Amino acid sequence: MAVFNYNKVALENLKIEDTSVLDRLVNFESALQAHKKKEHAKVDKRMTLKEAIATFISDGDVISDSGFSYVRTPHQAHWEIMRQEKKNLQMIGAPNTNQSFMIFNNNVNLSHNSYAGVEMRGIDRNYDRMLKTGRTKILSEWSHGGVALGYKAAQLGTPGVFSKQMLGSDIMKYNPYLNVVQNPMRSDPDPVVFIPALYPDVAIVHCQLADKYGNAYIYGPTVNDVAAAAAARKLIITAEEIVPESDIRNRQGTIIPFFYADAVVELPFGAVPGNMPGYYYWSRQWWEKLIRFGCVNDENLKIFFDEWVYGVKDQFDFVNKLGGSRWIAEARMQTKAAEGDHEDIDFSYEEYTRTHDSGLYY
Amino acid sequence: MKDLSAPANPLETLAYILSKQIRDHQIVYIGTGIPMIAGILALKTHAPNITMVYESGGQDPIPRDLPWSVGCPFTWRKSPAVMEMSYSFAQCYNGYVDIAFLGFAQVDMYGNVNTHQIGKDVLHPTVRMTGSGGNNDLASLSDNLILVGVQTPDKFVEKVDFITSVGYLTGGNSRKEAGLIGDGPKVVISQCGEFDFEPATKRMRVKTLAPGWTFDFTQQFTGFELLKPEGEIPQTPLIPDDILKLLRTEVDPRGVFTTMPTA
Repeated sequence: MAVFNYNKVALENLKIEDTSVLDRLVNFESALQAHKKKEHAKVDKRMTLKEAIATFISDGDVISDSGFSYVRTPHQAHWEIMRQEKKNLQMIGAPNTNQSFMIFNNNVNLSHNSYAGVEMRGIDRNYDRMLKTGRTKILSEWSHGGVALGYKAAQLGTPGVFSKQMLGSDIMKYNPYLNVVQNPMRSDPDPVVFIPALYPDVAIVHCQLADKYGNAYIYGPTVNDVAAAAAARKLIITAEEIVPESDIRNRQGTIIPFFYADAVVELPFGAVPGNMPGYYYWSRQWWEKLIRFGCVNDENLKIFFDEWVYGVKDQFDFVNKLGGSRWIAEARMQTKAAEGDHEDIDFSYEEYTRTHDSGLYY
Repeated sequence: MKDLSAPANPLETLAYILSKQIRDHQIVYIGTGIPMIAGILALKTHAPNITMVYESGGQDPIPRDLPWSVGCPFTWRKSPAVMEMSYSFAQCYNGYVDIAFLGFAQVDMYGNVNTHQIGKDVLHPTVRMTGSGGNNDLASLSDNLILVGVQTPDKFVEKVDFITSVGYLTGGNSRKEAGLIGDGPKVVISQCGEFDFEPATKRMRVKTLAPGWTFDFTQQFTGFELLKPEGEIPQTPLIPDDILKLLRTEVDPRGVFTTMPTA
């Protein structure tokens, strides 16, 4: 049984008395057992999103998502977690923008924080409110690089890595997992941060293509996804398209190998309303409406989610609400222009503001 | 419609001064917001051969529209390589970044940055903000770090409410003693001008002042005592008309990052 040495100052500052809530994220032995126990044979792992979320996310799990905030992020899987009313989840990620909405919905109540917000669309006032009203509790503060190195250490098969990031900052005073030690290779003073390998219970990775075994092809920034997939006890792959294994074998690029995967879900539009490289652009007005209308207060956010999460039955329904085939055509053209050559597309659109809602989502 | 002949607003001025920090052929690490404008402006003017890199891992993208996220396609459009996030910060640690830009919600007299919260209590902040993102990583690892933001006494404070990223910590040699690599922030840029850090104490010092700004007036926009350099304070370069026009027509035509907030 591992006994963990948490940063005492951080425990005190965060008022964490029962540290068992912290253990899963750094418990290598239990992650190793989970990895050994899972199906290693190359078998068909396809199932529906409902089945995957019901089977592989348990109340109390530490979950993480893929991509970057709203680029190749499994938003539709998040909505399913919300619809299935999962409870007491912890969430970690770099960034960790999407925890906010599952906190509001009482799915996530413990937060490993690195970044919350929608960059140029603004600060997330919902997350601010959730913290102040005690509906989530911060278990640890991180820099993006800190989380990235924790996942990477797990993928590399090491207990952790030494880093020069976060030294001297207040992040160190609010992260029980981090301790400053002397670099053992040097005899002159050389403080380093030990970042332990991080093992989330569940990683949900949305990708462009996967075969039925779980070999998953990612196009565009992989961010931390290969490392998180290697670390997680359970991996749910959702893919825009399920393709024959030969298709994956003929590709160059980043592939998450099948043996990490527990579930493979064919999920076209699995990243809407975010951006899916190669497939569709993000719905700017949707995010503006979320941040500028929804996140302002509880009442608005409930109205927003009633409409967009509980008022739709699946991602096809969601796409219909965004504008259906017209939205698909526009969003596909925009992402292709953003990634490649198409000088005629100027990316102008009618921005959503509190006084102007065009009703368009492209 | 945008008035192309209107005088430069503070954000446009910021973007210009920031772009002037960049030398041609440098590897430039870009964060969200004004730094994106500055990088693209530099690329279109005096530094056409820079390599822009982003924390999502995009290397040397061919710019198109303004990025709306450091993960969006414009940060890796036609990139020869897109690296994982951990490698992207490692690029900085390993010496392959020549200049980096960071924003802040608060900065203090020692160049420490806060993007976490207003209010001292993490469990009960007055306003919770984004948290670190990559801010801490770049500040911890960069040699040539430029901080940029709008200056008010509430933003330029004696002590930040939360040290997200270390500048010179408590001054003197304290950054090095904490174990950080890199030299710490070189320059802070605001609409008032440029500020550097006095070499021994590492306290923030006026370097140049924008046209119309005096030392005393700038001091009123600062929540701590600024150091005054010896001799006459040089003027921050004014954005030339042709570059202002380029900024408004080609770099940020919709004013996404360079429109002053109205509320």
